[in-house]
Amino acid sequence: MSITKETAMDHAKDPAVLCCRAEGGITIEAPNLEDPSLFDDYVDSGLLELPDNVLTIEQVLGAKLKETTDALIPLTPDNVDDIQSVSDDSSDDSDADDDDAATDSTDDASTPVENTDQPVQSTVAPVVSSSSVSNGSIKIDIAEGKGIHLEVPMTATAVQDQTAAPVAAQVNATENADAASNNDATSSDDSDASSDDEVETKVVRELERDHFKIDKVVFGDKTEINGTTLTIRTPKDLCKEAADTEKIVKDMALEIITPDDYDKYSETIMDVQPIACKKEGEIGTGVTRVLDGTVFMLTGTDENGIQIGEFGSSEGELNKNIMWGRPGSPDKGDILIKAQVTIEAGRNMERVGPLASHKAADVIVQEIREALKKADDSLVVKKDEVQQKRHPNQKRVVIVKEIMGQGAMHDNLIMPIEPVGTLGAKPNVDLGNLPIMLSPLEVLDGGIHALTCIGPASKETSRHYWREPMVQAAMDDEDIDLVGVLFVGSPQANTEKFYVSKRLGMTIEAMDLDGAIVTTEGFGNNHIDFASHIEEIGKRGVPVVGMTYSAVQGALVVGNKYMDAMVDNNKSAQGIENEIFENNTLCPEDAIRALAMLETKMAGGKIDKPERKWNPNVKENNIKVIEEHDGVKIDVEPNEQSLPKSKKRLEIYEKE
Amino acid sequence: MEKVRYLLKQHVGGPDTPIVEEGQRVRRGELIAEPSGLGANIHASLNGTVISVNDKSIDIDADEEQNKDDYVHIPDSDDYLTDIKNAGIVGAGGAGFPTDVKLSNKITGGYLIANAAECEPLLCHNTEVEERYANQIVRGMKYMMEITDAKVGYIATKKIHHAALLALGKACKNEPNIKVKLLTNMYPAGDERVIVRQLLDIVLKPGELPIKANAIIQNTETIKRITEAIEDRKPFIDKDITLDGRIKEHSTVFENVPIGLPAKKFIDAAGGYISPHGDITVGGPFTGKTGTEETPVTKTTGAFLVAMPYPQAHKKIGLLECECGGQEPRLREIAEKMGSEVVAFRRCKRMVLVNGRYRCSLPGICPGQAEAVLGMKKEGAEAILTGTCQD
Repeated sequence: MSITKETAMDHAKDPAVLCCRAEGGITIEAPNLEDPSLFDDYVDSGLLELPDNVLTIEQVLGAKLKETTDALIPLTPDNVDDIQSVSDDSSDDSDADDDDAATDSTDDASTPVENTDQPVQSTVAPVVSSSSVSNGSIKIDIAEGKGIHLEVPMTATAVQDQTAAPVAAQVNATENADAASNNDATSSDDSDASSDDEVETKVVRELERDHFKIDKVVFGDKTEINGTTLTIRTPKDLCKEAADTEKIVKDMALEIITPDDYDKYSETIMDVQPIACKKEGEIGTGVTRVLDGTVFMLTGTDENGIQIGEFGSSEGELNKNIMWGRPGSPDKGDILIKAQVTIEAGRNMERVGPLASHKAADVIVQEIREALKKADDSLVVKKDEVQQKRHPNQKRVVIVKEIMGQGAMHDNLIMPIEPVGTLGAKPNVDLGNLPIMLSPLEVLDGGIHALTCIGPASKETSRHYWREPMVQAAMDDEDIDLVGVLFVGSPQANTEKFYVSKRLGMTIEAMDLDGAIVTTEGFGNNHIDFASHIEEIGKRGVPVVGMTYSAVQGALVVGNKYMDAMVDNNKSAQGIENEIFENNTLCPEDAIRALAMLETKMAGGKIDKPERKWNPNVKENNIKVIEEHDGVKIDVEPNEQSLPKSKKRLEIYEKE
Repeated sequence: MEKVRYLLKQHVGGPDTPIVEEGQRVRRGELIAEPSGLGANIHASLNGTVISVNDKSIDIDADEEQNKDDYVHIPDSDDYLTDIKNAGIVGAGGAGFPTDVKLSNKITGGYLIANAAECEPLLCHNTEVEERYANQIVRGMKYMMEITDAKVGYIATKKIHHAALLALGKACKNEPNIKVKLLTNMYPAGDERVIVRQLLDIVLKPGELPIKANAIIQNTETIKRITEAIEDRKPFIDKDITLDGRIKEHSTVFENVPIGLPAKKFIDAAGGYISPHGDITVGGPFTGKTGTEETPVTKTTGAFLVAMPYPQAHKKIGLLECECGGQEPRLREIAEKMGSEVVAFRRCKRMVLVNGRYRCSLPGICPGQAEAVLGMKKEGAEAILTGTCQD
C-alpha cells in the first residue's frame, strides 16, 4: 500500500521499494513507495528480496525512475537516477540512533543542533535529548530524526548556571515546551556524573510492616495466635457461617495444607492472599501486621464441578500446578489455608459467582485478622519500614496498571478497609473502569483485592499486588520520581475500552509526566485497550514502555507506533499459557528491563525493533546488556520446567 | 425437503443430455447429464430423488440428511486430463469454458497463469479461498503445467488482496517455476488480455485468446477444483460464492455450497434482505445478470448481489456500451426499470466486431468519450447510462 509523506519521513532510513507498478521517467514520491512495516511479511512470503545496494526512502524521494518497474521491486542505483544525496545531519542522526555512538565533544554535539530543524512540527517533540556528563565531556543523544524541532539562535544561548555545559544549555534553551524536563535532565546528569551527590528526596508517607512468624496452623475451638501457632476455629462452624453470608455460596470447606501435602489435589486457584490487618492507620500508612509462613488460598467450582475460571484453570496436584515463589503465588514452605467454595450451578461465569466466593471466604480471613490484631506485640519477629519517596528533580514517572474489568470474574476490589479485604472496597467495574490513582504504598499494603480469573499463568493475584515488583523497583529507583500507580480497568466492549483509554490519556496529559510504564495481566481482549493506553500516552509526547505476557499465544493483536518498547512477561519455555499458576506474571527481572527501557527512552535512546517472531533470546540479551551496563547480576526466575509435569502439560502442552 | 435445480447448460457449448429419469434416486457426485458436443459432465450435488427432467434442467428433491464428505468418486484413471473431463470442470470464473478442452492445448515452454485478480467489485470468495487453500492452488498449477507442458507458472493477483498475496507467496516460495505476479489495482485487471499484457508484455488483439501468447489462464477456483478432482476424485459439485449488497451480513462468503441450490437460501443465510431492496444480480456488478430468488447456483456463479431499488429517472438517456461492463441488453433493462426512455446508443470507440461480438481493443486503458457523449446529446439524451470500467 502506498505511503504518505509523513510515513515516508518516519521511515527515511528504511529501504525504498515500489508499492505499485510505476512508469519510467517519473519523479519518485511517497505514494510510489511501499510501507516498510509490511516488508517482513513480504520477505517472509518470498515476494520481496532486499539487495545490499537498496536505496533508502530519503535517497529516492525526488529521484527519477529509469524505466517502468513493477510493484515490490526494491529501488537501487540500477533503476534510479538522480539519487538524492543525504545531508550530514542524517548521518549524525543515525549515529545518535545508536546509543553508544553519541557525539563526544562539544563541537560535534552542536552539529545536530544546527541541522535538525528540517521537519517543523509544532507539537511537543516525543523525545528530545538528554545529556549525560562523563569524563568532562557531554553526550547528547538524539532519537529518531522526527519531530525534533530545535531552532537554536546560536547567539542567544546559555543563560544557564550549569558549569561545564554550554551545549546542554543550548538544548535546554530551545525546548520551550519541554523546559521542565530539560531541567530534570540536566540535574539527573549531575547525579550520574558523581555518585556522591545526594538525590533530592522528599518522604511523602511511611508504612510499617510488622511480621508475625507462623510455623503451625491447626484447627481448634477459637481463632487465635499463640506463639508461632495459628489456631483456626472448627472449620465446620466457621465455614457454615461464612457460606451463609452469601446466598449463592452453597458450600465451603477449609483445609490446612502443609508442605508435606503439596501433592494433594486442589480445584482451580482463584486467589492467593496475604493474611494481614491494619494495626494503626489506613491502608498505605500506619502499621500493618502480616503473617509470614502462611497464606490464604481460595479455590472453587460450581455445583456441577465446573472450575471457576476463564481461559484455563489450575486444578490438579498443587506441586505440579503452582509456579512457587512468584510475586502472586505461595512460596515453597508456606502453609496454605485453603478454602474451597462451591457456588450455585452455572454461576461460575457470572459476576455474582466469583464475587460471592471472595466475600464469603473473606469472613474466614477477617476472623484471622481480628486474632492478628489482638496478638501480643512480643510476637513481632521483624519490623519493616517502607517509605514513599519523591525525587523532585528526577523524571516524573507513573505506573499504569491495567486490571481486568470485563465483568464476571474479571473484576477487582479497590481500596478495602483491611489489607486485601473486601469490606469498604469498590469494584472497578462499578467505577466504570476509569483510572484510579493509588499511592505505591497503598498498592503494597493490600489496596487491591484481585478477583481476576483469567488464564492462571498470567493473572495477578492479591498477593501479586502486595509484592508488586514493578512498583517496588520503581520506588527503589533514585533516577526517577515515581508519582503514583494508576489503575485502569479493561472493560468488555471496545467502545468502553476507548472511552477509558481516552480518559487515561487526558489524565496523563494533566500530570505533566516524563515517562510511563503500562502493565497488564492476561492477554487477548485486554490488549486492545492496553495498546490504546500506550497510544494515548505516547501521542502526548510521554515516553512509554508496555509490559504484558505476549510471547506465542498472547501475541499482540493490535499495535501502534508508540509500542516500540515492550517487555514480555513470558517465562514459559514454549511461550504459552500452560495453566501453571502465576507462571507468566510480572517478576523483578521484568521490572528491571522495563525501567532500563524507559530510562533509555526518556534519555532519547532508541530501543531496537522487535523480531518478527517471538524469540526468547531477545530477553536474555536485554538482561545481559543491563547486567553489563550496570555491573549487576539479575536473577532470572525459573519456569514450569522446574516442576513435575502437570496433567495438562502431559496431555496438552508438552505431550511426550 | 429442498428442490435443487441443475441447469443443463452451465458451460460454453450446448445443453447436456440428461441420463436420469423422474423418480430415480441419485447420490451426491453421481453423473446425471452428459455433453452432446462441446460441454461438460453434470453431477448431482446432493443425495435425492429426481422430480423433473426437461430440456433445460434436472430438478431433484434433496434428502434432509446429507453428508458432504460422502460423494461418488469420478472413475479411476491415470490421466489428469481425463480426470478433469470426468469431473465436469469448467471455468468457474464466469466463462464456463470446459477446462479439459482448454488444457488439451500444449503450450510447451509457455506460461500457465492462475488468475487471482478477483476483479469484480464486491466479490471476495476467491480471495478468501486463496488465503486458505494456497497450497492446493499451487499443487493444481503443477498438475496443469504437467498437462500442458508449460514452463513457467504465474499467479496473477493484486496487492490489495494482502493476506491472499502473502499466503500465495508462501505457497510457491520453494517452487522454482512458479511466481506471484502483481496486477495493477483496476477493473478489469482480471481480464485475460489485460493479464497477458501486464505479465507478458504482449498485446492480444480483440478476440484473440491467451494461447496466442503461449499462455493459458485459469481462475483460482477452477484450479482448486482440478486439485480436488485429481487428488480427492471429486467431481465439480460444489461452488464458492459471495453474497453482498442489501443483505444483513455484508460480504458473506459461502464456501463449497452444493451447485443447484437457489439464491434465496443464501440470501436468508446471510441474514436476509435489508428493505427496501431491488433486483438480485447473479455474478459481479459489471458482468452479472439479473436473476431471481429461484436462480440456482451453477458452475459459473460467483455471487448473488442484492441491489437497491432502481432510482427513478424519467429522462431521455443515451447508452454507452463497454466490453467490461453491462452490455446493451442489460443497459436497456436497467434503463427501462429506471423509467427512462432510451434515445441514443453508442459503443465505446475501442469496441470492434470480432466473430459477431464486440470486443475491446485495449481493456483497462480507456479513451475519452467526448465524441460519443456529444453525439448522444445531439440525439436528445439528457443523461447517459454506461457500464464503463474506469474508476
